Formats: sequence, structure tokens, C-alpha cells
Amino acid sequence: MSSKCPQFMMSDRQIIEGCARHERKSQQELYSRYSGFLLGVCLRYATDKAEAEDILQDSFLKIFFNIKDFSGTGSFIGWLRKIAVNTAITHYHKNLKFRYHIEIEDFVSVETGTSSFEEDLFTSDELYKVLNELPAGYRMVFNLYAVEGYKHKEIAEMLGIDTNTSKSQYSRAKAVIRNKLGKLRKLKGNYPASD
Amino acid sequence: MKGKKEDKALSDLFRQKLGNAEVIPSSSVSKALMRRLMRREFLHFNPSRFNIWYTGGVIVAGAALSLVLSSGPGENDRPAESKAATGINKPAVVDDRTSDATSLPDVKQAEDARITRKKTDISTERPSGEIASDAEIKRYPEKKRNIVSPTEVPSIPEEGLFRDGKTEKNKLQGASGQVNNLIWASVTEGCTPLKVSFINRSLSSDSCRWTFGDGGYSYRKDTEWLFDVEGQYEVILRVFSPDGRQSFSSVLITVYPSPVARFEITPEYAIIPDDEITFLNYSTDAEKYRWDFGDGTASDLFEPRHYYSRSGNYNIRLIAYSDYGCSDSIVVKNAFGSGYYVRFPNALMPNPNGPSGGYYSNRSDEYANVFHPAHSGVSDYQLRIFSRHGILVFESNDVNIGWDGYYKGQLSEPGVYIWKVRGNYINGEPFTLMGDLTLLRTP
Repeated sequence: MSSKCPQFMMSDRQIIEGCARHERKSQQELYSRYSGFLLGVCLRYATDKAEAEDILQDSFLKIFFNIKDFSGTGSFIGWLRKIAVNTAITHYHKNLKFRYHIEIEDFVSVETGTSSFEEDLFTSDELYKVLNELPAGYRMVFNLYAVEGYKHKEIAEMLGIDTNTSKSQYSRAKAVIRNKLGKLRKLKGNYPASD
Repeated sequence: MKGKKEDKALSDLFRQKLGNAEVIPSSSVSKALMRRLMRREFLHFNPSRFNIWYTGGVIVAGAALSLVLSSGPGENDRPAESKAATGINKPAVVDDRTSDATSLPDVKQAEDARITRKKTDISTERPSGEIASDAEIKRYPEKKRNIVSPTEVPSIPEEGLFRDGKTEKNKLQGASGQVNNLIWASVTEGCTPLKVSFINRSLSSDSCRWTFGDGGYSYRKDTEWLFDVEGQYEVILRVFSPDGRQSFSSVLITVYPSPVARFEITPEYAIIPDDEITFLNYSTDAEKYRWDFGDGTASDLFEPRHYYSRSGNYNIRLIAYSDYGCSDSIVVKNAFGSGYYVRFPNALMPNPNGPSGGYYSNRSDEYANVFHPAHSGVSDYQLRIFSRHGILVFESNDVNIGWDGYYKGQLSEPGVYIWKVRGNYINGEPFTLMGDLTLLRTP
């Protein structure tokens, strides 16, 4: 990350080997290097930061105990992300009360004016908030499909639901998100441009 | 086609913004994680990592066992020695686990040396494993900081600023006048709704972001915020320098609930000065109360009772104070109306011996022979009574004359009659009332 102080720098390879030996220093380095990124992943799957931090802890425990299984061929960060995502799915299953969620109102697709959302309009905080407010089922499917890039079939397997459920949940999630972003944009119309 | 495009835009938005987004975890997460990790590692026996705790445990257990086995039952000194050894060494194993995780080289140390070292540990400062684990917890973030801060990674741990020469306690108190805090806050505690002005004291004009702990945020350099729900809010200021570094500062704002003063007067239609008035206190979030009854007397009770000695207009004030110095007051003006009233009964039992002319006094009319009101302060007055067929059976313009139950010299039929009254009180306030009365046959 920084090349200014080489004596403190460990390469990812060194960290992985250190963690495999359960060296505290490597574990700490791994944590300080990747916790921000992984919490970013976890927060997408959680309702709030506290829940995301729970998932983060579980993810790190898994990472520390299974790091010897990391083959070293793929990207390390991809591996970490996968573990976090899987942990989030486990977490979702553990807390699953309803198999999937259907809103009572029928979501008519809202008129958004323009066909795309300008990226600079929304801060990542706001996008996180939008995700956090989604019903858990919508959130899982949307994250896995839109952000992680899994196929509906894979998602169906991971979540233990039907492929069609995954698809319909995804389209409903989109409708809700679009609705929320539309509202947010309207709200921001009154605001002076931020930073 | 258009739908597909929008779809892509939406997922692109999230992918680009959140795909690699970093969120800084709270400092407590790393502590909790390390605790869980240690517990897990301790329980998780791993032959490839023949760890110090098991080594130590095996050595100590072996030593204790050999001492116990070699000590004869009749000897006095040696059992005591073995007791001492086991007594100290067993907790020492635990102690070693939690307090000294980095002493891998110690494995090769001689057993005696280990025991003596542990003895000193125990005698000086770590009698139990719990305290020792606290020491470890405190040490961990410091270590992390040593790794992080010299490299100036963007993700400075959140406690980073507080670690600079300040203790954890200072952080909790969160006073505004701290020298190396970027935030100046006009107040740090108060009651809802609490308006706080914040000033970003950094000299640079770097962009910044305030988060107020209640979901609100601002990008202005100096800002103000209204906290309208009680609670503790950690207001965090992040300053972003152009080269991508962030600095943090935070201040704790404590918002206490505001008391709300509310009360009710019973009885609802009290007659002053006859009735004893009870004040029912419905105030919330208050601890102390001050009542002003409006007649020059006051009370500090929660729900006082009071007699008024004279009728009149009374303004009753209740002030509710909370423990945090906040207060609320409520005034009920003219609490008992003007004190003037007209009230009618709903039945009449005429004297069968002949009309009385309707004169009555409160004392003489104990048999309800005359239909008349209880009244106070009546100036103009007109009472009319109708039969069910709409015939006006009685009319009086004098409040002191009521209906004796006779119409044109004849005793009226028993049954229901309708009355209507209107007039003015002596202060000019008009009144109009109506109702029914039942004329009863005298038994």
C-alpha cells in the first residue's frame, strides 16, 4: 500500500505464510490491510454496520483458520471476498425467518427521467444505506447478481431457492432500489452540490 | 432494450461505487476478533504448530504428576511443596496463554526458569487471567498503530487520534476544548432539541465530511446540527487532504430527554371553593416538580391536593425539572372557568297539595318539589319547560323561581318534559343549556 517505509512492509505472500503459521503479527497485518475492504463487502449484505462487523469477524476467523487452503493461484483479494460473501450467506441463512420477501404494494416501475444513474450523484454511503434498507432476500440476490456477478442459477444454489425466485427477487430489488434512488435524487435536487 | 440498459446502469453504479469500497471497522471489532481468535486457537489443537501452551501444559502437568507420585504419604515437607507447585503452576498455564502470546522463544527455556518467571508475574500484577487478557487487549491496537501510522495508510484506526497522548477516559468524556481535536462544539450536552454549532478547526481548506451519529451528515466546513432525539452521538469529522489522506476527529454529544409538564385537574367540574382539587401529574422525564396554585400558595409534591378558599380565576402553573437541569412548564389559565355555573337536576316530584308558586331555597327543597337549578353568578335568565306535545308549560325569568309541577293550576301528568335555559352570567358570558326532566308521581 505504501512504499515509504519498507521495513514495515510485508508482501501478501509473506502475510499469507505468516498467517498459515498463526503468527500474530501477520494476522494483524492482514487485518489492518484488508478489514476496510472486507467490511465494505460485508456492509452490502447487512442491515447495519454492527451486523456487518459481526460478519466481518466471522469472515476473519474463517480466513485465519483456512488460509493454508488458499492455493495461491488466484487473486488473494478475490479469495478474501469470496469468503466474506459466503460468510454473509451463512449469516443470512442463520437469521432467515422468511424464505423470501414480497412487498405488498405492486411495484410499478418508476419514471426515472434519464435512463441511467449518474455515478457522481450518489455517495457510496448513500448506496450502502439503500442496500441496508432492502429486505434481506432482495439484498442477497441483488448483491450476488449485480455486484458479485453470479448467475441466477448459482445464486439459487447458494441461497437454496428456486432460480425463478432469484430472478423475481432481483427484479423487485431493482424496482425498490430505483424507487429509492429516485427519491434520493429528488431530495438532493434541493441541496447544494456536496463537496 | 431500454430496460436492459437501465438495468446495466444500475448494477454498474453499485459495482463501481461499492465493488471495492472500503469501510473502516470500529476499533472494538479488532479487539473482539483477537479475543475470539485466541480462544479458538487455544481450543484448536494443531499438530503442525506445536504451540507453547501445550508444551507448557504438558511440562507442568508432568512435573506436578512426578512430584505427586514421588512424595510419600508420611512426609511433611514434600506434600506442601507439591501443593505449592500445583497451586501456582496450574493458573500459570492459563496466565501464559492470555498474557504472553509472543514469547515463542521461551519454549526452549528451562522449566525452572519458566516457573520462576511465572511466579514473579503472579506476585506482581497478574493474579488472574482476566486482567491479563485486558492487558493484551490494550496492547493490540497500539501494536496495530505502530504498523499503520508510519506508513500513513488512509485507513487510520478510529482510535488513532485519541491515542495521541490521551487516555481512553478522556475520549469518553469528549470535552470540546481539547487541543488536538479538530472539532469545536458549542455545547457537548443538553436537552432535546439540542442545537449544536460545530467548527472545523483545521487550518487547511481540505474537503471534509461531518457525520452526526444519527444518520445525518454535512459537507460544510462549519456546520450546525439539531439533535432532536435523546442519546449519545459521536460526531465524527473526517478531513480529506488532496493526496487522499484522511484525518479523523470526534466529539461526543450527549442529548438528554426534555421533560414535558402535563397535568389534569379533578374533579373536572370542580366547585370552588367547596371541592378539594386533586392535581394528577402526567409529566414525563422529570424528577422534580413545582406547583403554583395561583392563589399565592405553592407545592413541591408530585400530585398535590389543594383547597381554594375563595372562588375566582386561578392560573395554575406546573414546572417539571429533569435531573439534567432541563425544565418545562405548563400553565392552565382560568382553571375553574369563571366559577359561575347553572346546573339542573333531571327529576321533579311535585307537591300534590297544590301549587307553591315555585319559590324555593336550597334548604327547603329537599324533596325536589320544585324544578330549579343550582347556580352561581347568574345575571339574565330565562327557563322554559315544554311538554312532550310541545306545549310551553312553564316559563321563568327569575333564577330564584322554579317550576312546581303545576300548569294552569293543575298538577301536570307524570312523564318526561323538556327544558331549555339561556341567559348570561354576571361577567357577560352567555350560556344556553337544555335537557329533559322526569316528572314523578308522589307516592
